[in-house]
Amino acid sequence: MGITTPNGFTLDNSGKRIVVDPVTRIEGHMRCEVNVDDQGIIRNAVSTGTMWRGLEVILKGRDPRDAWAFTERICGVCTGTHALTSVRAVEDALSISIPDNANSIRNLMQLALQIHDHVVHFYHLHALDWVNPVNALRADPKATSELQQMASPSHPLSSPGYFRDVQNRLKAFVESGQLGLFKNGYWDNPAYLLPPEADLMATTHYLEALDLQKEIVKIHTIFGGKNPHPNWLVGGVPCPINVHSTGAVGAINMERLNHVSSIIDQSLAFMRNVYIPDVIAIGGFYKNWLYGGGLSGQAVLAYGDIPENPNDFSAEQLHLPRGAIINGNLNEVHDVDMRNPDEIQEFVDHSWYHYAEAGKGLHPWDGETSPKYELGPNAKGTRTNIQELDEAAKYSWIKAPRWKGHAMEVGPLARYVVGYAKGHEDIKNQVDGLLGTMGLPLNAIFSTLGRTAARALESEYCGRLQKHFFDKLVQNIKNGDESTANVAKWDPSTWPKEAKGVGATEAPRGALGHWIRIKDGRIENYQCVVPTTWNGSPRDTAGNIGAFEASLMDTKMERPEEPVEILRTLHSFDPCLACSTH
Amino acid sequence: MTDIPTPEPAAAHAPTGDATAHDLRSLRKQSSIYVYEAPVRLWHWINALAIVILIVTGYFIGSPPPSMQIGEPVSQFVFGYIRFAHFAAAQVMTVAFFGRIYWAFVGNSHSRQMFYLPIFSRNWWSEVFFELRWYLFLEPEPKKYVGHNPLAQMAMFFFMTIGITFMMVTGWALYAEGAQKGSLPDLAFGWLLGLVQNSQRLHTLHHLGMWSIVVFMIVHIYAAIREDIMSRQTMVSTMISGHRSFRDDRTE
Amino acid sequence: MSRIETFYDVMRRQGITRRSFMKYCSLTASALGLGPAFVPKIAHAMETKPRTPVIWVHGLECTCCSESFIRAAHPLAKDVVLSMISLDYDDTLMAAAGHQAEAAMMDTIEKYKGNYILAVEGNPPLNEDGMFCIIGGKPFVEQLKMAAEHAKAIISWGACASYGCVQAAAPNPTRATPVHKVITDKPIIKVPGCPPIAEVMTGVITYMLTFDRLPELDRQGRPAMFYGQRIHDKCYRRPHFDAGQFVEHWDDENARKGYCLYKMGCKGPTTYNACSTVRWNDGTSFPIQSGHGCIGCSEDGFWDQGSFYDRLTNIKQFGVEANADTVGMTAAGVVGGAVVAHAAVSALKRAQKKTQDKVEG
Ligand code: HEM
Ligand code: HEM
Ligand code: NFV
Ligand code: SF4
Ligand code: SF4
Ligand code: F3S
Ligand SMILES: [Mg+2]
Repeated sequence: MGITTPNGFTLDNSGKRIVVDPVTRIEGHMRCEVNVDDQGIIRNAVSTGTMWRGLEVILKGRDPRDAWAFTERICGVCTGTHALTSVRAVEDALSISIPDNANSIRNLMQLALQIHDHVVHFYHLHALDWVNPVNALRADPKATSELQQMASPSHPLSSPGYFRDVQNRLKAFVESGQLGLFKNGYWDNPAYLLPPEADLMATTHYLEALDLQKEIVKIHTIFGGKNPHPNWLVGGVPCPINVHSTGAVGAINMERLNHVSSIIDQSLAFMRNVYIPDVIAIGGFYKNWLYGGGLSGQAVLAYGDIPENPNDFSAEQLHLPRGAIINGNLNEVHDVDMRNPDEIQEFVDHSWYHYAEAGKGLHPWDGETSPKYELGPNAKGTRTNIQELDEAAKYSWIKAPRWKGHAMEVGPLARYVVGYAKGHEDIKNQVDGLLGTMGLPLNAIFSTLGRTAARALESEYCGRLQKHFFDKLVQNIKNGDESTANVAKWDPSTWPKEAKGVGATEAPRGALGHWIRIKDGRIENYQCVVPTTWNGSPRDTAGNIGAFEASLMDTKMERPEEPVEILRTLHSFDPCLACSTH
Repeated sequence: MTDIPTPEPAAAHAPTGDATAHDLRSLRKQSSIYVYEAPVRLWHWINALAIVILIVTGYFIGSPPPSMQIGEPVSQFVFGYIRFAHFAAAQVMTVAFFGRIYWAFVGNSHSRQMFYLPIFSRNWWSEVFFELRWYLFLEPEPKKYVGHNPLAQMAMFFFMTIGITFMMVTGWALYAEGAQKGSLPDLAFGWLLGLVQNSQRLHTLHHLGMWSIVVFMIVHIYAAIREDIMSRQTMVSTMISGHRSFRDDRTE
Repeated sequence: MSRIETFYDVMRRQGITRRSFMKYCSLTASALGLGPAFVPKIAHAMETKPRTPVIWVHGLECTCCSESFIRAAHPLAKDVVLSMISLDYDDTLMAAAGHQAEAAMMDTIEKYKGNYILAVEGNPPLNEDGMFCIIGGKPFVEQLKMAAEHAKAIISWGACASYGCVQAAAPNPTRATPVHKVITDKPIIKVPGCPPIAEVMTGVITYMLTFDRLPELDRQGRPAMFYGQRIHDKCYRRPHFDAGQFVEHWDDENARKGYCLYKMGCKGPTTYNACSTVRWNDGTSFPIQSGHGCIGCSEDGFWDQGSFYDRLTNIKQFGVEANADTVGMTAAGVVGGAVVAHAAVSALKRAQKKTQDKVEG
């Protein structure tokens, strides 16, 4: 029984239907429905984006130089990455080149975002899928201290007294009866496997990470004035540099640079002393829970990012790799051409949108966004009170992007798979090192935990890249170049009558692209294809399921009415729904 | 000069403008009437000067002149002075306008003309159309008016009475933002910001108001000079001496 | 069943002794103008008062308000959540999902009727029967109304909840609607900004807990203490503004000297917020300090006031766009032209009449 999708998954919706809505600890609004068989194994998965705001509609007719601010508000979590993508798209359309310093500063900001987003995701959105804070009350602080020192000998916060303090605070909190965010958690579910000491250590780091994350983003504040939602500029960056003379205090000066440098050191220490050791420690206890691979071993996509030099986006000049892998063939990494009308296309047969021509895939330069909400004939409930969706019809606010017809996974794991396959030295070393430490084979990374581990490794790599670009920035200033913006084409009267461009970044959650058409100095069409649009996509015209759906297949649930496993795997993608539908 | 035509007897058609019985009597006898009392004239020229200053400085507030490097910012106050001049002229204009309103109560009947429109008077409307035709060159000869001609009265009412009020209200509401909560301008006009919600909108409204006044000025000064030349009565000198003299003795 | 933690417990947990607790109570009594007889009563109230429960719902948004909130440095976000309030529902951070999450919210509403604070991030869309934002299969606006019914007060976080923000920018395809237009029978505190400053967010919460009252609001419903003055009123670049020293182009000499950003479109003069004093991210900087003008992110409808880089707002009229000066100069030009033409015709007519008079005379 069941039907097999073109991308090789057998769907069977005869078993019990389980609905999770809202899916929590994600950004935005999402619903998930699965069918489990009588063993509690997931046999059909349906993921739904449950919000839409219409940014692509709102952008029409506006000044392209303002677009970064609008698109930045697509998401406050991956704040800045849309803005950077947007200014790149506009600069591409208008052939604007940016100064070297602007490239370094943009990279520093983009890397800060990667690190920040990964840390907050792991500790504040994902950890409670593996860590049981209530169980931490039973831990022996002394044993916890030993565990901490074993996991990371150089982390200063590791004394028994320190853990006892945290435990006492936790105890008072739990005993107050007001459990707050932990209320109604699944704390007695057998899916939780950590010993109390590991739970206490991780819960402590939940709090430490909360303190640290607010430091990481100060790099945005220094260069862009605030976080969330720092400021950007078409043609460069808005912050001028002045390290030598009068008025330096009104610009990027020595004090500001020192601040940036100390933040880089502080966050890199956290990645090395806390984040990666935690992932290894926790992962060690869940070594045998190898569900959730989904598309990761089969079809992954990355656009690449962090250009070494300004205005050069060729694949070999990018520190985060670009490429596509399909049909599980890691020996062949395809290049990706975002301008080619046949490569990236979006379908809406199962999405709440209407195309002039049904069943067609549209390249984003020709993309259309016209909402059309309707439920399929087999949906249960009413139009405004959905009990069960009908996935044979339209069922999500997320469009279905495809690369040459393939559903693709994007994100840290996709980047690491592409990088590994391409022989990217830093990535290969990290991955081999981690697998060696944990005694796992390569294909263990195609899993829920693989995604989580890739994110941790990437944070550390990004920290090193920050150091590189900080040095580069200082060296360039030393060479006498203080320029940060190119204003030659600031005035719209210098623009061609019509232009089109594309901008790309590797956002924390994966490959992000913005496509713009400009006419008479105004935006004629603006389309975003966002990481969570890829990962959270519903079925397409051909019936391929998306990455979220694929990753849930065949997972065993301990207690089907408690969605711990569903949350675990969905969270490993770090879903961002405001992004996905925009 | 051509011969002065012989006066025709005051006939069926009504005397023109807002002329009072007293005016008419004196009109028959003399060709000069005291129309604009001193306070009105004083107000007129103070107001005109204030508005010119407000327009120039207001324009610069919206689009500042090129940056100047005269001294250290603490000692240089170029933009500050531009704004100061705007606010000073605004104060003068505001006080003068209240004075003008006061004079409308105690002054002669012409002093009230700017503040109302006799929209229920058929005669007035017919004179509006007459005046329109005169400006469209469809009437060979203008009428005489002791005070404002009805078209001018309309312009005065909308662009000055309403227009100045609008500029004062929006201007003081903007001023209240800097003067801060609890200040007099805030108590008097702060509510306006609450009404339009966004201060940027308030700036735009105030700014558009300026251009309506510029438009009035162009028309007003042109009309004053043109009528001075082409009509049957004095205009510019009236606003200086207060006396209006007529170039013929016909009353219609 | 475990005991509910009281205000007293919280104070004890933070290391405050019974003695100083009683002192605090008598101070409170005299501050309220009550006699010493009331001290035990206040002590009793505090000893039995639980941490204020907060339900934090999310509509159409980008979640930057939550992100901002967790950046709070004083107090730290963790202290707010662990010791000051009880964050009983927040879909972005809570452990439970689906039915269990919805049950957590219902439980708090039942247990603390009239005593919990509802924090709203984002806003409800009203088009498409509200189904542009779905929670638990139903329109978000239903969840919002349900949670609001028994709330003591509502905090509208950010520009979204306060004014509509980016999704309500023209043409507002989802009809995203600010909270106060949907909930009209509750006190609403707007804390606008895109997002609001973290310390302003925690400042508003701790003010309410400390003084046990709602903050004084300005005409737009924002706490006067943080939104009473414009960025421009306290901007450190103000001397350059008064001096007439402006950045003329991005990255020019004046930009490097930190001159005023007015000509770059800075909206500081029209924006009420605390950025120029409290500043962002633990006082690190704020937009103007980093070299970009303020874009007015805490103002109603700031997305539709023309380009962020224009000093004068664009006005859309008859399909063409122009600012007040272009509109005005065009009008003045047209009128000026008409006047010149009219003058010419007048002169012609007059000359005609003169010759005629001569002929006749
Ligand atoms: C900013 C410039 C000016 C403004 C705002 C202005 C405004 C006014 C106003 C409000 C009145 C009506 C007075 C009343 O009834 O109390 C008036 C009348 C008059 N103004 Fe001006 N004025 C301006 C400039 C001038 C100039 C430059 C002249 C002369 C060349 C002039 C000549 C007159 C005359 C002749 C009248 C009397 C009109 C009549 O009797 O109908 N004005 N003006
Ligand atoms: C005929 C009368 C007036 C004219 C033509 C005028 C014109 C202007 C213009 C063009 C601006 C710049 C607006 C912008 O684009 O931001 C301005 C600003 C302003 N005006 Fe006026 N105005 C007049 C009367 C007043 C009055 C009566 C006040 C009352 C105090 C006033 C107070 C202000 C203030 C406070 C500003 C803002 C200054 C700033 O942003 O620094 N104005 N005015
Ligand atoms: N998906 C997504 Fe984003 C990211 N990372 C966007 O580009 O999260 Ni809000
Ligand atoms: S107010 Fe701005 S920052 Fe906050 S959720 Fe809305 S869009 Fe995001
Ligand atoms: S930079 Fe902006 S807020 Fe600061 S003084 Fe200039 S205009 Fe005002
Ligand atoms: S853009 Fe927003 S962050 Fe402050 S300086 Fe302006 S209100
Ligand atoms: Mg899109």
